[in-house]
Amino acid sequence: MMLLKNGNLHIGDGRILPACDILIAEGKIQAIAPGLTAESAEVIDASGHEVFPGFIDPAAAIGASGLPTTQQDNDEHSDPVTPQMNIRYAVDPDELDAQAYYKSGITTVGLAPTHNNVFGGQIAVCKTAPGRLRERIVKEHAGLKCSVTAHVKKTYGGDHPRLRTKMGIFALWAETLRAARATAPAERSASQQALCAAFDELQMPVFAAAGSQNEVDGLLHIMRDERATLYLVDGYCFASALPQMIQQHVGLVLGNVNDYSQVTKHDIDLTKLVDLAAQGNLIAFTTSNGGLPSGRETLLWNAIEAYRAGVAAEDVVTMLTLNPARMLGVERRLGSLEVGKDADISVYTGHPVTSYAARVAHSIIDGKVVF
Amino acid sequence: MNRILIQGGMLCTMADGVTEPFLGDILIEDGRIRQIGTELPVGDAELIDATGLYVLPGLFEAHAHIGLFDFSQETTFSDANESSDPVHAALDARYGVNPRAREFRAAYQYGITDMLLTPGSSNVYCGLAFVAKSYGDNIFDMTVKAPAAVKIALGGNPKKNFGAYGRLPVTRMGVAQLLWDTFRRAQEYLAQQEAGQQPAYDADLEALLPALRGEIPCKIHCTQHDILTALEFANHFGLRFSLEHAWGAEEYLDEIIASGGAICFGPIATYRAPGERRRVDVTAVKALDAAGVNVAMVTDSPFYSEESLYHHIGEVVRDGVPHMRALRMVTINPVRQLGLEQRLGSLEAGKDADLILVQGRLGLDTDARVLLTMIDGRVVYQR
Repeated sequence: MMLLKNGNLHIGDGRILPACDILIAEGKIQAIAPGLTAESAEVIDASGHEVFPGFIDPAAAIGASGLPTTQQDNDEHSDPVTPQMNIRYAVDPDELDAQAYYKSGITTVGLAPTHNNVFGGQIAVCKTAPGRLRERIVKEHAGLKCSVTAHVKKTYGGDHPRLRTKMGIFALWAETLRAARATAPAERSASQQALCAAFDELQMPVFAAAGSQNEVDGLLHIMRDERATLYLVDGYCFASALPQMIQQHVGLVLGNVNDYSQVTKHDIDLTKLVDLAAQGNLIAFTTSNGGLPSGRETLLWNAIEAYRAGVAAEDVVTMLTLNPARMLGVERRLGSLEVGKDADISVYTGHPVTSYAARVAHSIIDGKVVF
Repeated sequence: MNRILIQGGMLCTMADGVTEPFLGDILIEDGRIRQIGTELPVGDAELIDATGLYVLPGLFEAHAHIGLFDFSQETTFSDANESSDPVHAALDARYGVNPRAREFRAAYQYGITDMLLTPGSSNVYCGLAFVAKSYGDNIFDMTVKAPAAVKIALGGNPKKNFGAYGRLPVTRMGVAQLLWDTFRRAQEYLAQQEAGQQPAYDADLEALLPALRGEIPCKIHCTQHDILTALEFANHFGLRFSLEHAWGAEEYLDEIIASGGAICFGPIATYRAPGERRRVDVTAVKALDAAGVNVAMVTDSPFYSEESLYHHIGEVVRDGVPHMRALRMVTINPVRQLGLEQRLGSLEAGKDADLILVQGRLGLDTDARVLLTMIDGRVVYQR
């Protein structure tokens, strides 16, 4: 049992409870109130500290790649259509541990296949604390990772080309989906079953990578009559498609804007994050860019860029916590400080969205202090 | 005579011995700082009201490839790596720079007024780096000093580049061999010249002579255990030098401190992987700075955005370095590494009027914002 005393609690949904306690037992939050007592509990004094739900990167690119440039177990580039692939089988605990995500307050990551396939495979949700792999997996089949980016062209446009243009990517998207739907359910291949599970049976949302304006516009257009929930991954040029984003209720997992100077490269207008959030579209951040990994620090850097662009600090907190949990369908367990949820808690010495001086004092995952 | 008076700002001069901002005015005359004081007379000067704002020297980026790499299109282009031979010391980075690169604009809008632009790291001897202002139309007019440093690269990049063709260097042994051999030849070349002989002209060896004479530093790309190779090499030839990137420096603190070398640390936000990216944490910076090592923070722009220089300073502050101290790592420290402290790096009389007006405490408040950037006494950006 653990008692976190007197912290300034940021619930994750925008609310703040000043000088409040959290009682933790069996890995879960048992009670939230001021002045809690528990005789046998280990007490952590959080006075003067800012307490957040653990941050979540819903589209991380490292943790399932067998360390980049070597194994690339997140990149089944034998075929641009591999929606049945389950990234859970590629999760590498050593690689996850090496990132020490929890040192930056990140307690959970959604691990996604690369941007290299049009239909790449299924996202798994994983805790970042070292431990038994089976216990770290929160959820599999959490989303279908798709891509319409130039990475597909690069992957399949070489000496024996299978795809060389954006036209080719979108044609493959449309025809693959049409063929899956035209096949009787009993006759469907594993690939077709996975596509129909996402697009028609709505068993998982679609996380589709698009960066440049024509990629974003094309994706929103081809998805215009689909019922599946769509989250743009990277989505650098989201601002130019703001009306469509709002009309189609499309969420955004903003890629690492500092990697390869994305803001400059795409003339990104991050101030439009304010408008998108005001319409209720879910926004979250990822450390990855182009399906490739960056370090744990960059999740907060993206959050700071959103704050600099005018998003209120507590809205930014929601984008780091509850929003990504909702995107991955794990909001019953993760994403906010509420009784019954997993005790995944990041205790900072200040508000990391507004001050660079804020450090992680404690990172708690499943009720255990890991840092 | 063109005179500007910046009035009533909180001056963060970065001058030695000044650790706290103070209220004051700056008089600028013909592109240079003429005087710093309180309640300076206005006279005929144009007034800039800095009330409520911080005034800092323009920030200095000590390791960038802006205009040499361009990732704006799907097919990237590189004029940064002349990867046709491992020894290309004589290449002049100015000839690779596109002055229209968008990152220059980001630089001066975010208050980075001066930068060292360098060839990439695919060769052991990569070429000559130079220092430029971030605003202008013509890179040769923007240049402050050329050459400003010899760029050298150890480790994976030259290995990968030449190893793919089975050419020396395939290994770190090969890198070290080329490293030593080339400078020994330069030493002999210099000795022959000084003895009045006329050695056959060698452009690459000529390019190394200013480094051998200690006139310009070598910037040595190295990480993890390559740091030891760099230190041994640089000290053997008595070079002025900085370790570039320097990931893993925390394992070699004593050796670095003893070497007398400087550090250009960053970019820091890479994923952790065995080998060169094994340890990339910013933790070494605090220890090296405390031990008196000259530390600069760098972004490697456009690999990391030029504006991420704020985050780079911020991570140093997060690790416990006071923000005024951390700001030295992007102002006076890198300027000293390059021997340009007579012109740049602090707000002091006689220096170039490269300065910024900032709302909020840069490096501490995440929403600190540059409201005005001045280069050579000219306002190049105003918000």
